[in-house]
Amino acid sequence: MKKELKFVANGEPYDIWVEPNTLLVQVLRDELGFKGTKWCCDSGSCCACAVILDGKVVKSCSIFALQANGKEVLTIEGLANGTELHPIQQAFIDNWAFQCGFCTSGQIMAAKALLDENPKPTREEIQLAMDGHLCRCTGYNMINEAIRDAAKRLQAQKSQEGAK
Amino acid sequence: MSEYSIIGKPTTNVDGVAKVTGEAVYTFDMTLPNMLYGKLLRSPHPHARIVSIDTSEAEKLPGVKAVITGKDTPGGKYGLWRRFRELADQEILATTKVRFIGDPVAAVAAISEDIAEKAVDLINVEYELLPAVFEPLEAIKDDAPLVHDDFENNINATRHIEWGNVDEAFKKADYVREDRFNLLTQHPAPMEVHSSIASYDKGSGRLTVWSSTQSPYFLQLGLADALKMREGNIRVIKPHVGGGFGGKNSTMPDSVNAAVLSMKTGRPVKIVFNREEEFSTTEHRTPMHLSIKIGLKKDGTLLAKEVKIITDGGAYTGLGATTLYLAGTWITFPYKTPNYRYDGFRTYTNKMWASSVRGFGAVSALYASETQIDRAAHDLGIDPIEIRRKNAMTPGYEAPGQYKVESCGLLPCIDKIEQRVKEKWARLDKDEGIGFAAFAYMSGGIFNWIDTPYAFSGAMVKVNIDGTVDLFTQASDIGQGTNTVSVMICAEELGIGIDDIRLHPADTATTLADLGAWGSRETLMNGNAIKAAADEVRDKLLDVARMKLGENIVYDLDAKDKRIYLALRPERGFSYYDIVKDAIKENDGEPLVGIGHYTPHRKGMVSPAYAMGIMGVRAKVDRETGQVEVKDVIVAHDCGQIINPLGARGQVEGSIQMGLGFGLCEDLPSENGMILNPSFVDYKLIRTREMPQIELFDVPTYDPEGPYGAKESAEATTAPTAPALANAIYNAVGVEFDSNVLRLEKVLKAIREKEEKGKGKGRR
Amino acid sequence: MKSVVSDFEYFVPKTVEEALKLLSQYEEEECKVIAGGQSLIILMKQRLLTPKYLIDIKGLSDLDYIKLDEKEGLKIGALTTHRAIEKSPVIQKGFSVLSEMEQNVSSVETRNWGTIGGNVAHGDPSGDPAPVLIALNAKLKMTSLSGERTLDAEDFTLDYFETALRHDELLTEIQVPTLPPNTGVKFTKFSQIVGDYAIASVGVLITLDKNKETCSDARIALGAVDIAPMRAKKAEDVLKGEKISNDLLAEAGQVASEEASPTTDVEASEEYKRDLVKVLVRRVGSEALARAKKA
Repeated sequence: MKKELKFVANGEPYDIWVEPNTLLVQVLRDELGFKGTKWCCDSGSCCACAVILDGKVVKSCSIFALQANGKEVLTIEGLANGTELHPIQQAFIDNWAFQCGFCTSGQIMAAKALLDENPKPTREEIQLAMDGHLCRCTGYNMINEAIRDAAKRLQAQKSQEGAK
Repeated sequence: MSEYSIIGKPTTNVDGVAKVTGEAVYTFDMTLPNMLYGKLLRSPHPHARIVSIDTSEAEKLPGVKAVITGKDTPGGKYGLWRRFRELADQEILATTKVRFIGDPVAAVAAISEDIAEKAVDLINVEYELLPAVFEPLEAIKDDAPLVHDDFENNINATRHIEWGNVDEAFKKADYVREDRFNLLTQHPAPMEVHSSIASYDKGSGRLTVWSSTQSPYFLQLGLADALKMREGNIRVIKPHVGGGFGGKNSTMPDSVNAAVLSMKTGRPVKIVFNREEEFSTTEHRTPMHLSIKIGLKKDGTLLAKEVKIITDGGAYTGLGATTLYLAGTWITFPYKTPNYRYDGFRTYTNKMWASSVRGFGAVSALYASETQIDRAAHDLGIDPIEIRRKNAMTPGYEAPGQYKVESCGLLPCIDKIEQRVKEKWARLDKDEGIGFAAFAYMSGGIFNWIDTPYAFSGAMVKVNIDGTVDLFTQASDIGQGTNTVSVMICAEELGIGIDDIRLHPADTATTLADLGAWGSRETLMNGNAIKAAADEVRDKLLDVARMKLGENIVYDLDAKDKRIYLALRPERGFSYYDIVKDAIKENDGEPLVGIGHYTPHRKGMVSPAYAMGIMGVRAKVDRETGQVEVKDVIVAHDCGQIINPLGARGQVEGSIQMGLGFGLCEDLPSENGMILNPSFVDYKLIRTREMPQIELFDVPTYDPEGPYGAKESAEATTAPTAPALANAIYNAVGVEFDSNVLRLEKVLKAIREKEEKGKGKGRR
Repeated sequence: MKSVVSDFEYFVPKTVEEALKLLSQYEEEECKVIAGGQSLIILMKQRLLTPKYLIDIKGLSDLDYIKLDEKEGLKIGALTTHRAIEKSPVIQKGFSVLSEMEQNVSSVETRNWGTIGGNVAHGDPSGDPAPVLIALNAKLKMTSLSGERTLDAEDFTLDYFETALRHDELLTEIQVPTLPPNTGVKFTKFSQIVGDYAIASVGVLITLDKNKETCSDARIALGAVDIAPMRAKKAEDVLKGEKISNDLLAEAGQVASEEASPTTDVEASEEYKRDLVKVLVRRVGSEALARAKKA
């Protein structure tokens, strides 16, 4: 029997009805059309489905949609400001931090959550924060470099805004 | 090379914005109007005759629109080795018997994936169990059950390669050793599972398929064979692909069954594997038993090599027959081998079939040869770098009747590694060791087992009146960056910017045949085709410019930075955009197009060009637990002219992740044909915390066959990682292995055994 | 991909009492409690668990807290996330072994949503929190409509995925007593891939006498090497009352490896796991000792 799910996704309010066994990743992809969040492993092992739920990065494949009731979700689609990419996205591009791109949305969301909490992470802190993410293409190091680069860009952006 | 505007300069991914915003569409993401979802019923037995199939209950389930079994399919057999019909041995659905756990016997299309899954559970199959065989050495015995009735002793393919006189040469050798290895499998484990959508149009009788594929053309051919359709009536479109690594070359049950279900229902059908299916029923690296015998002079010069390989092919051919050939070829690289003999056999067994995975035989072969050469070096008291230097291939080296290496930067790569290792790794901690492995790999193969009449790569360039360019290529970007390389080459050739070019990739209806992304062929082969196509247009543009300049015909023109100008007097020239307008307007509006193609000719039996290099790995071993920590990696590679250094670096690092997996932790153990670990919980991939820092040195050369001298990059580096690591472990704690996947227990056991034997050189 | 195919009725009780009332209404086999669901959902996707009724207690914020009492010690609400424990300044300061352990539990994503109570109640013999709680001499409080009871951590997990929690009970609080002076605690889990499920894990607590010479108390907890996380009591006896040397720790390790009953699986053999216990007890014990000396 369907139950009401009221939540905010990428800044917009949604009021939909879902079966209790629906996973958050299914609602995001199939109901809301946010296909950027991927589904990859069936065992909660890869974090390709990572989204930010009430400010915390979580695996959307391992959460029932109804547990997001009353909460706010941010997916990859909510990151850019219109056509203006988020500094993390731009850093990923500039540092060749993706190849096939299938794990990329999850990586970027986790990077955002990390940098929101810890604006100047060390290499070890980045590795610890990103450890849940599987990538078969990059060998991870260039992803970590992109995150450090993103941290610098965000700091610069903050100083610029502070200076205004 | 600083003379280029774009080639050789770090260039960001042309698909970058799409991929970082989540807008890139993969087959996995796609839905079409009126689409159904398909699911496969798979055999639970490794070998059984199908007695009967009862689909009646499944058909009754509300929401089910079609249920098919083998008899409902057009029944064509297919496979990549089309040239030899008996090796194209796959069926859409098993008709008479099943040959591995997971062999599909039925398929359902329903309005939701859940209903399709429920329906699959309602299909009843009666099997007559048959004795099964799981190990090649058992499979070749006379009394072994036959996986395919027409293949005696279960031998699917054989290969013999020979040059020189091996027997005579061994007699002259001062030092002879033979080692046996057991090389295990590895799963490509792409992040996007196999996904396909088929849409059959009853009116026209034409089929369109979207698929997560490495080769739309191969898929088109496979579908045509399976469905007994004209290939021209099949259109394959490749959206973004979430990785392939060799597992998405073959036509697989997702695409063919989606096609048949679509033909039956008149609606598009989507089939997506779950991760368990991905691990247990898709292609993986060919396991093999390998024996390698080498004869050396006491100064380390290689005189002779003899190799025997028997591979565990699994239930069908796939590309496994090519792996058989290539393993016996790569094992001679990258050394001058005056005398060589190879005999290889590929056997059928009752398991999911093994095919090609990144490295294509080189990963398995070089694990054996590069650890063995180290052992020989130790026995002879020769430095491991020195023995490699002594035997290294040099430009122009030829293996009689087999291959010729034109450009070859191996020696400077060896020099570079030697120098850098002295600088960086001078001091080692306790139980730390350094190991090396040299490598080489093809830039595409000359093989045509696919039996195509077409050029191996084709491209079209269309220039519009405003100077924008439409570039059409069937080359497959599966993450390796081919789209970016394609656009870079076209831009360089026409002297314009990346932003001027719109790429139309990988659609068999609108682009010219390209064999796809395997064997590192796209940069060289597709690159050459694009270069040729762009050149055709460029020539037209230069002609127009030349006419306008009214200059003497011996003065050359260049196209660069959106200008076309006299090479010796750059100030005399025109804007590219103006010349384009003139070229069209002054030619009666004739379309400004160029078509190019490339097929390697007279390039031996293997490849038109070979990347070369050497890798050093530093590792630390924990003697009490067998844990191996990979501390650092240094690579020097010769890829001719690297087109995009950003992409090349990314690829090398990714290949090392896979190489480390082959060396340390990735394995698919099975019991009676059942894979024991079909999930990322138990199939261990190297993660970010295990990944060492990697220092990469580019040692450029120029290969005349490659576009701008370019050769392959980064499939090659998959191969040396594990043997270099194994050599590092030997130098750290003195233990050797005859197989890969050096798990904790394996390493600890070896250390204990050595400690028990006591001190001294315990050598076989 | 695999979704959760089975249907169920879904309840979101607003209070602990409401949750308990629901629990007592349904049969054990039909009804499951979900907190973070990080383990549960995977089992449901695999169709290993198909409850007809699911009681979602994730929102019971009354059970999400970290309190430190000077005398009684640390009290952690069962619905506190792994991440909250990892990051808690109170825990990092006074019970750092807990936050160190949490740092390596799966990934940040799992830790942000999964709860310590959910993890412990799952009864996974290779889970990380349980051996640490055993080493810390923690107690687990369980609540039902008829009242509360507490159990020592080492008595909570009975068998593979089976705990002492009755069907009509909720695990509500984890109580970690104040550490005695001169106490050091260390936990390490070991696997091929860092942070992966443990092949073996060891938590050691050592309390030294006031001269910091002899060991007045030792607690050695082992994870992933038996049907449930366990205490290696005989190994503890090797250390108690003695001046701890490396050799003594090695002996304790030997004894502990004999107390454990690991099984051979895809990951490693029984023998390897025993060897690992031996090594880890020595190493972890040594670090616990160093911490005790510094305390």
